[in-house]
Amino acid sequence: MWQLLESLENSGYAIWLRESPSVLAYATVLAAHALGMAILVGLSAMIALRLVGFAPRLPLAPLERFYPLIWVGFGVNAVSGLVLLSLNPTKFFASPTFYIKMIGIAVAIVSVKLLRTSVFGHPAGLDRMPVPMKGKVLAGTMLASWGVAIVAGRLTAYRFFTEWRTVLAVLTLTVLLVAGYKAARRLGLSTKATGQGRATPSSGF
Amino acid sequence: MESFVNYWLTSPFLTRYMNYYPWAWPLAEISHFAGLILLIGGVGIFDLRLLGVAKGLPVAAVRRLLPWGVFGFVLCVASGLCFVLGLNANLPNRVYDVLTTDIWLDLKLLFIFLAGINLAVFYLTGMSRAVDGLGPGDDAPPLAKVIAGTSLFLWLAVIYVGRLIPWGI
Repeated sequence: MWQLLESLENSGYAIWLRESPSVLAYATVLAAHALGMAILVGLSAMIALRLVGFAPRLPLAPLERFYPLIWVGFGVNAVSGLVLLSLNPTKFFASPTFYIKMIGIAVAIVSVKLLRTSVFGHPAGLDRMPVPMKGKVLAGTMLASWGVAIVAGRLTAYRFFTEWRTVLAVLTLTVLLVAGYKAARRLGLSTKATGQGRATPSSGF
Repeated sequence: MESFVNYWLTSPFLTRYMNYYPWAWPLAEISHFAGLILLIGGVGIFDLRLLGVAKGLPVAAVRRLLPWGVFGFVLCVASGLCFVLGLNANLPNRVYDVLTTDIWLDLKLLFIFLAGINLAVFYLTGMSRAVDGLGPGDDAPPLAKVIAGTSLFLWLAVIYVGRLIPWGI
């Protein structure tokens, strides 16, 4: 099996795509992976943020319309990801960080799917009652798993020594940002949006 | 000009700090990714609504997602400045040479500038105010759709050429 991966890695296809000076080769596959991520994670994370309590006046039911685009983003990344994997399979399959990234993506995608059936499955009463607990838990799980997948994904390019230090740095920065946000709220720099449920038009932030 | 740019767009302090802490560069990269996700998420949903996707959303309510886009942009600018000011923690090149020879970096900066102009047009033509009154099912004015489509195209183009920057150095 490992020999098969090595021969794939040393095939003319892999060498050309990796080493071609053209930006339409390796660089464009990497760029497609970033674009797919922006669409997939960007759209699904906004839905998750709404479910955990931000922008409570934003009606939920119409957000389901973004699901086809979310799957387009996922498709782009599945294809570009497989191509990137095929260029360096022995590196990625030997990297624990890569498996952590895969688990993060799997959990996030399952959360995105389950949200569609459990929250968006009953559109009639969706915007007349508070977000069900299950929806909040799934949304929180999704956000955390995207975080794991993105941090682990970026860190596959680094050595183990750098990896765990960076994880600590990311956690520290996250705590600082959340604390800063809470402090700003407490000082009244940002208005606390209240009122769960029914959508009412409003202006400003 | 050359020494001016190299002096003002290089931070010896930041370079030393990013050299000393191995987590500094990857942390900036991760912040850049998180930022572009929030930018595309917040701004993208707003643009897509104006273009007619998920028309059931009242536009004024979608506006509440825009602070996430702004926060994402700020994260990207902060981490992006770390890459530029602390360039020498990663590469020996001078900032002036990269700015004048890297076509992808120049294109990226141009697209960000155009996105800013596009945003200014959105406010100055009164479209920003006009779309606020759009309730569920309402169609945005054609000009607002053009601006939304331009915004979506420009931000995605920023990501594409941004990822090509290492190939232009």
